[in-house]
Amino acid sequence: MMVLLRSFIPSLGALLLAAGQAGAQGLLIDKSEIRFVSKQLGVNVEGRFRKWKANIVFLPKNLAKSKAELEIDLGSIDLASDESETEIKSPSWFNTAKFPVARFASTSIKNVGENRYEIVGKLTLKGVTKDVVVPIALKKDATGNSVAEGSFPLKRIDYKVGEGMWSDTEMVADDVVVRIRMVLPPLA
Amino acid sequence: MPVDSLFAVELKRTVRALRAMAMDERGRYGGAAIALHWLTAVLILTNLTLGLSMVPLPIIPRKLQWYAWHKWIGITVFLLTWARLGWRWTHPAPPPVAMPEWQRRAAEVTQTLMYALLLVIPVSGYLYSSATGVQVVYLGLVPLPNLVPTDKALAGLLKGIHVALNFTLFSLVFVHTVAALKHHFVDRDPALMRMLPRIGPKGSAE
Repeated sequence: MMVLLRSFIPSLGALLLAAGQAGAQGLLIDKSEIRFVSKQLGVNVEGRFRKWKANIVFLPKNLAKSKAELEIDLGSIDLASDESETEIKSPSWFNTAKFPVARFASTSIKNVGENRYEIVGKLTLKGVTKDVVVPIALKKDATGNSVAEGSFPLKRIDYKVGEGMWSDTEMVADDVVVRIRMVLPPLA
Repeated sequence: MPVDSLFAVELKRTVRALRAMAMDERGRYGGAAIALHWLTAVLILTNLTLGLSMVPLPIIPRKLQWYAWHKWIGITVFLLTWARLGWRWTHPAPPPVAMPEWQRRAAEVTQTLMYALLLVIPVSGYLYSSATGVQVVYLGLVPLPNLVPTDKALAGLLKGIHVALNFTLFSLVFVHTVAALKHHFVDRDPALMRMLPRIGPKGSAE
């Protein structure tokens, strides 16, 4: 375990990342993903966001200085259907005209052992800010990149996503699971 | 003789002939084949109506409900079609009624294509749903895996295929129906009668 952990340290130590769109040291945004799964009539419906920015500083030995900030362009949602995408941007759902982005900002990062971390932070969506906890597992992929994966549940009604007739959770469930996958490059 | 009584005589003759042929069990489809045939007919017409009605609906809860029903009916047709093929394998269809060779060939091709489409169309719909990231859960109970990745371009392609295959199926259904009516009303043979359930208790047709 220690060997494995130590092998992580060099790359993780370098993850002082002004990440986002570009930057050799940055988050590998093309390999990273923000996806979600909601339920319609008990059926899983998957989607993702195409455009988002992240500012991640990850120092395993200095978690107090570590942080994760994300800004998600809600208009970039991908539901593989123009009709559904138009609908979800409308005022009853995201209301992207008024609230174009969702934000997450960590307030603390805890090491919970075995390459697992808990990122506590505030999620702002459609003008509502709530505390969320994002459990993350770190591992390395075949090419040596560090991969942080995690998921957390949120209640869409808390954020007023789906108002009016859509507040009926029999049709579209209240629970939405957000899955994130952040890929960080190894130290050059 | 006045025209209407000529017609009455002709009609009586036809009815007698049809009844005689319909009573001939050897020339008829079995009860299970008849039930599966008409159940399929009702389900695909229902699903065509549902499909054409749900697409233009604005996104409202009813739309989601209709999509779900449409998918369930489609999967039911898929399963019924396998059941029909299995039944037909073990219970051969009665020999065709007398008709020109080209008509017999045409009927065979039409029916074979319809069977194929009844199997392929539900699959195309299922894959289309998968491509839009919407899982299919049969009857709300049996979750089926998403077989293709969520992808808008693929979804568009699969939707086009689903629609085109349905257009083909219902064109064939039209030909099939017109042919059956022609056999009944023009040729006055039992081609249609033998696929209809018998009316009244056995032996009561005297």
